Amino acid sequence: MTKDFAVPPVVFPPTGGSSGGANVQQRRFSAIPFQQPPPSSSSQIPFLSFNMGSAAASSATHAGPFGGTIASSSSFGGGGGSPSFEDEEPLLDELGIHPDQIWKKTRSILNPFRINQTVHKDSDLSGPIFLYLALCLFQLLAGKIQFGVILGWIVVSSIFLYVVFNMLAGRNGNLNLHTCTSLVGYCLLPVVVLSAVSLFVPQGAGPVKYVLAGVFVLWSTRACSTLVVSLADGGEEHRGLIAYACFLIYTLFSLLVIF
Amino acid sequence: MYNNMGPQPGMPMHQGIPQPGMPMHPAIPQPSPSEYVQSNISRYFSDPQYYFQVNDQYVRNKLKIVLFPFLHRGHWTRISEPVGGRLSYKPPIYDINAPDLYIPLMAFGTYVVLAGLSLGLYGKFSPEALNWLFVKGMVGWFLQVMLLKISLLSLGSGEAPLLDIVAYAGYTFTGLCLAVLGKIIWGYSYYVLIPWTCLCTGVFLVKTMKRVLFAEARSYDSSRHHYLLIFVALAQFPLLIWLGNISVNWLF
Repeated sequence: MTKDFAVPPVVFPPTGGSSGGANVQQRRFSAIPFQQPPPSSSSQIPFLSFNMGSAAASSATHAGPFGGTIASSSSFGGGGGSPSFEDEEPLLDELGIHPDQIWKKTRSILNPFRINQTVHKDSDLSGPIFLYLALCLFQLLAGKIQFGVILGWIVVSSIFLYVVFNMLAGRNGNLNLHTCTSLVGYCLLPVVVLSAVSLFVPQGAGPVKYVLAGVFVLWSTRACSTLVVSLADGGEEHRGLIAYACFLIYTLFSLLVIF
Repeated sequence: MYNNMGPQPGMPMHQGIPQPGMPMHPAIPQPSPSEYVQSNISRYFSDPQYYFQVNDQYVRNKLKIVLFPFLHRGHWTRISEPVGGRLSYKPPIYDINAPDLYIPLMAFGTYVVLAGLSLGLYGKFSPEALNWLFVKGMVGWFLQVMLLKISLLSLGSGEAPLLDIVAYAGYTFTGLCLAVLGKIIWGYSYYVLIPWTCLCTGVFLVKTMKRVLFAEARSYDSSRHHYLLIFVALAQFPLLIWLGNISVNWLF
């Protein structure tokens, strides 16, 4: 393809080329991982590199106009005493999101007959948030915008389960709200699967949808009541009563999905 | 913490006993979540823990009493026991006539869920409609509590604990759930189940209120008692018909 316009060649004046080359040499030795490798010839632009807190580089760039501007910008970006980039924690760890733990917990609920309770001992809320977003996404694909509704219902139902469990368990009930919300959120997985599956069920098949919803709600109830009873004290003799409360919660969510 | 240090020469370390010079870490007893819930609720009501001492067998038998009060062969009085100098009633596990809050709460939840289901089957489901149904159920519960409380007050004995009245009022939702379930399964059964439910709830409340009045009333005025009890039973009919009529607008 021929060019329609003439591109004028860009020529950079090689002022301070020798000192710029010296700066570039010194900067190459500072070994910051994200620094672009400087070009070999001295008349090229030294690339902007963000030397966070490396005082050696900023002190070496005082010579030359290019070095001066870059030094100001890099020392601006470096600041005084902030930790260097490689000392920072990975972002997900800092936020408290552990994807492998989330995946392990989610996978433990996928088997409806044998639920691994030890994996759920330390509760987290990032898995439930992810499942909530997945449910909202599938509802969105079905044409229903219910982000606020589902979030509100998750909050209300976890408070409901918390109150019911602690009142039934009596003196030695020790389910706390964080664990409760975490369990209610993780056991939403079957409802998420139901909403995904019901996208493909044809429109007129009413009873099929109800039977399907019933199966998934029972799966959810079994998972939630098993986990709640095994993770908190005092619930063993009230399994059926707690299971009924969980059943009500997940039937409510399945109503959102079917209708 | 003490295990890691091991035996040190010259200073015997005793587990758990604070040594002079060691930093003191007094153990602050953390309230368990159930105590936290209970301590916050018991500031305003009588002890709510009493109403949740239930088990499977109690729930099943109580449901039988509430739904078929004619078939209850035993007596209706609550068993009382002297506790700390005062007379208090036995908890629900030991006494079938004691009120509990688990069944009313679950019955209310079941009513909301079933009402949502019935709305959905007629194609009118939406989350806002479900919220209105929740509000309607709450208003119905409140009206029932008011009815019982006012009838108790007008006979001069308002000392029954509030949660008792709330529990008795909440038992109407069990019959209501049955009626709504019947409507879902076969439309015409609703017209049989609603009068049946009203009658059963009326009988149950009359029998319970009679015992409450006998226990608490200062003056026994026979005809006023009976008229009020009949009024309570008759008021169930409009209330339950209103609550059982599941529709999008919540007023009727």
